[in-house]
Amino acid sequence: MKIAVLVKQVPDTETKIVINANKNGIDESNIKYIVSPYDEYAIEEAIKIGGETTVISMGPDRCIESIRTALAMGIQKAIHIDTQGKSYDSYQTAAALAKVIKDGGFDLVLTGKQGIDYDNGQVTQMAAELSGASQVMVIDKLTINGDKAKVERRIAGGSKEVYESGFPLFLGCEKGLNTPRYASLPGIMKAKSKPIEKKSADELLGGATALVEFTNFELPPERAAGKRIEGEPPQQAAQLVKLLREEAKVI
Amino acid sequence: MATYKVDERDVHFNIFEYLNIKELTAYDKYKDQNEELYKMILNEGLKFALSEFDPLYVAGDREECHMKDGVVIVPKGYKEAYAKFAENGFVGIDTPPTYGGQGLPCMINTATMEFFTGSNVPLLLYAGLSRGVANILEAFGSPELCQAFCANLYNGKWSGTMCLTEPQAGSAVGDIRTSAKKNADGTYTITGNKLFITGGDQNLTENIIHTVLARVEGDAPGTKGISLFLVPKIWVKPDGTLGERNDVNCVNVEHKMGIKASATCTLNFGEEGKCRGFLIGEQSRGMKMMFQMMNEARLMCGVQGEALAATAYENALAYAKERIQGANTAIINYPNVRRELALCKAWVEGMRGLLYLTGKSIDLAHGHPDDTIKEKAKNRVELLTPICKAYCSDVGFKITEMALQIYGGYGYVSEYPIEQYMRDVKIASIYEGANGIQALDLMGRKLASKAGQLFREFYEDLTQFVASQEGNTELKNEISALKKAIDTVAQVAMKIAEWGMSGEKTKPMLSANYFLELTGHTTLAYILLDQARVAQAAISNGSKDSFYRNKIRTARFFVAHVLPMVQMRAKNILSEDLSSIEMEF
Repeated sequence: MKIAVLVKQVPDTETKIVINANKNGIDESNIKYIVSPYDEYAIEEAIKIGGETTVISMGPDRCIESIRTALAMGIQKAIHIDTQGKSYDSYQTAAALAKVIKDGGFDLVLTGKQGIDYDNGQVTQMAAELSGASQVMVIDKLTINGDKAKVERRIAGGSKEVYESGFPLFLGCEKGLNTPRYASLPGIMKAKSKPIEKKSADELLGGATALVEFTNFELPPERAAGKRIEGEPPQQAAQLVKLLREEAKVI
Repeated sequence: MATYKVDERDVHFNIFEYLNIKELTAYDKYKDQNEELYKMILNEGLKFALSEFDPLYVAGDREECHMKDGVVIVPKGYKEAYAKFAENGFVGIDTPPTYGGQGLPCMINTATMEFFTGSNVPLLLYAGLSRGVANILEAFGSPELCQAFCANLYNGKWSGTMCLTEPQAGSAVGDIRTSAKKNADGTYTITGNKLFITGGDQNLTENIIHTVLARVEGDAPGTKGISLFLVPKIWVKPDGTLGERNDVNCVNVEHKMGIKASATCTLNFGEEGKCRGFLIGEQSRGMKMMFQMMNEARLMCGVQGEALAATAYENALAYAKERIQGANTAIINYPNVRRELALCKAWVEGMRGLLYLTGKSIDLAHGHPDDTIKEKAKNRVELLTPICKAYCSDVGFKITEMALQIYGGYGYVSEYPIEQYMRDVKIASIYEGANGIQALDLMGRKLASKAGQLFREFYEDLTQFVASQEGNTELKNEISALKKAIDTVAQVAMKIAEWGMSGEKTKPMLSANYFLELTGHTTLAYILLDQARVAQAAISNGSKDSFYRNKIRTARFFVAHVLPMVQMRAKNILSEDLSSIEMEF
């Protein structure tokens, strides 16, 4: 089975985000980048299933670091779709990925359920659609039996949905699917010399234009100071209800 | 509860900017490596420390090690974490790849050890000793011993210990009574008791490989007649499988102030006269070999001091930003708290610089193609080792105490991690040669070594640095303060040499700790100013990163608040006051 794992490089969750001067993105200096945590479940699952595994990442040169992490964990091959300093929206990203995936003849495509930076949660679904494959998102269990895959996803109220699908198939992975391994030091040493195939995002897109444009970024407003309610419990409760009704206007 | 915090930016600054690790990749030994690889290893190391070591840190302290049916039981989760740690290749980061080391620079090992030590020092100790035993075998043991033991020490199946101390022989290691007698099959029968043995027994690994200092019957008394033996807890058969239990028994596990999850054991060798071991290297050369392991362990004590100080400081910093006292003001806005935080920051960054710089000297001593540079680097490591060990463990303790003070009453309660850091760092000034011994080593051995060459080279490098900064107007006062401190160190060293020539014994011993302290302050001021120089270059290259501006402030602060202590300690020494000797206690 040929498996592709789509990996996105994102700022570490602890990064202090600064908006850039043009307000159309974030200031990328001094950011520590990591593999988007949900993508780690995808990497782990691919390694567990085995077969021919390829990591694909689209982004600037720095995302090679994330590609190497996937290789160090145990993925065999790598493709870097170079964005050469340009930015692309979810649709363009999906289109470029779909082209590479179709050309590569992959049976199974594993990704995280979403990237933890913009949280759009669109690329996997669009790429599946564009390459004419089935897709199930937010899965936490996968069993492959011959030419069929059985997947499970949790839904509200503690129930789960169970799907059975043929290939090609795109799956968006959720926490709980597995426990991702670490990139071991021997793994990292081996990964450093593995070849990474390079493709140009522009060429793959062949002129497909963006559907979304970022115009203005703002940080969320700072949290206002809390209010302390004094007095005996009955007075406190009365005061709380009053505030909820009149100030917060939630009841 | 997650407690470990580290300034990753400063770690990377040291490795990639201040000490420019890229230089090493030009040498044969590291030619297949690059900065990208080093970055990945640092990232994975920190990730592992945060996700596997840190979560067990507080719980392990509360649970402690205990004995059950004659075996020491380590706290929950430690066994699994240790196995994973070894599996991922962290035991021998900078040892040769032959049996499972990774062959990376010592600089990288030092940085990752900062992460592991800072996030769970008792757990890391098991690994540190395993690596030490494997490395000593690789350096001095026969190929058969290496074959039989090294791989399993690296892969985590087995672990190692270092057995020196006995009830009557601590600092005076020459007084050991453990004896060895050669058997017909070439093995030795070992008899004796060892005390305070880290990892002496545990249920982490299926076998334990002890290295034991003992005297072959009839050999010279004192350190000269000591040999080094390898004593497995369970005998290993020629095919590598485990055989019968060796006659070595744990009779006690200590209850301690700190590092409670590290098993500190009393071991009896040969209670039934059946304890067998192998001689490592040549007979009567045990101290020399043990010293290789010991020197590494001493650097790790320095790392322990620095790493725990660093996380204590980062925790106190976060707390000071959150804790509101009076007029809706976070306590970080009070000048006294800021001064204390600045002391912590400056000392931590200076110590980190010192330890990583020593790491780089080790790399140069091993890998540089030029023999003169190699030799000089080796000299530098020898000179700096007692300073790394004693200065960083003493100052490290002081910083955890200062960090605790910032928490006020909350620092004293065990709800916050800070009191544990303070308890866990204390041992670093005691084990692996108490700090008093380190001071004597610096003054008695290192200062006099090669007719003063180690010290002379160091003095010249610092003087050269001062000369190179002549045009540095921004740090003019700081550089001249450093120059004064260097001259003072030299002046004191001359006095010590004078005493040495006239046969004066008491005054040098009274002065040794002060001398180590003042040399340490001067070295840190030099390092912080050198880092400030790198920061100045980054700023003049257009960087707007406030990190660099802060580096300059840090150096300035250290020179103003710590460096003057050099003059004070010099005064203490030069007063030649003997009242503590004359005093009737």
